[in-house]
Amino acid sequence: MAVTVNQRGDNIGNPERAMPGKYQRGKSCRISLQLDSNSDCVEVLRSIVSVMTARAGMDELRSNRVAVGVDELFANIAAHAYGGKPGRIEVDACLEERGETRFLIFDFRDYAKVCWRGDIEKIANQPLDVEHLCPGGLGLRLIHSVSDNCEHHELEDGNRWQLIFNVCNGEKDGHES
Amino acid sequence: MDTNLKFERSDLSANNIQLRVFGDVTIHTSTRLREQLKPLYTTKTQRIHVQLDHVDFMDSSGIATLVEGLQWSRLTGGKFILSGLKENVRDIFSLAKLDTVFDIEDTSQT
Repeated sequence: MAVTVNQRGDNIGNPERAMPGKYQRGKSCRISLQLDSNSDCVEVLRSIVSVMTARAGMDELRSNRVAVGVDELFANIAAHAYGGKPGRIEVDACLEERGETRFLIFDFRDYAKVCWRGDIEKIANQPLDVEHLCPGGLGLRLIHSVSDNCEHHELEDGNRWQLIFNVCNGEKDGHES
Repeated sequence: MDTNLKFERSDLSANNIQLRVFGDVTIHTSTRLREQLKPLYTTKTQRIHVQLDHVDFMDSSGIATLVEGLQWSRLTGGKFILSGLKENVRDIFSLAKLDTVFDIEDTSQT
């Protein structure tokens, strides 16, 4: 398992030690990782989610939603873009202020062939067909449900996905943090 | 994060099986849950009760694995019951719009 953690902004150090820290307005908070599309790495990714959601001041329920979104996206890239073969996935997590609103943003970059040209919104809004439910489709539904925005960009040498969570306003279903 | 999924199976009767799950049900562990559940999907089984009170995290592959149980119950008229869902897990079922499709009991009691 190859994991590289690179932190910019304030000194987060060990993710476990960084847990109690809260995000301070105007102070950058960013963690970058290079992961193998290998199952072992999901544990590292989950730790980073814990650090970032704790810093964002999200409660356990919302933190779990972020974990689900990030977990599903990583699994989709590993299973579908790389087809289960080893590959590199770069993850950049940051807390960003846009005006009065704060966002938790996860950027995923892979170097696999472009295998996704669908419309996430369209898939998520289709009626749920329990009799023919497939795991991949369910994963995209969950990503769409938990995040405030999910974007996919085709690159010349891979893909870029961006998951955005609004820290301030709760989730789309009205859950209040 | 618990990647070591464990099970406690109780055969309450020949056709009434209770399966308690311990650990996170994810893309890396859901295969093990499927291995436990799939042999139960027979016409002889009338009731499968999956207790999730020791599951802290579940992703779409875990839900999809349980959907197989739901499909089995619809085909055979058997009962496939989930219980003891923690808030995080129930929330994911709700977001997937599956909380009203499954037969979910509030407690882990049979």
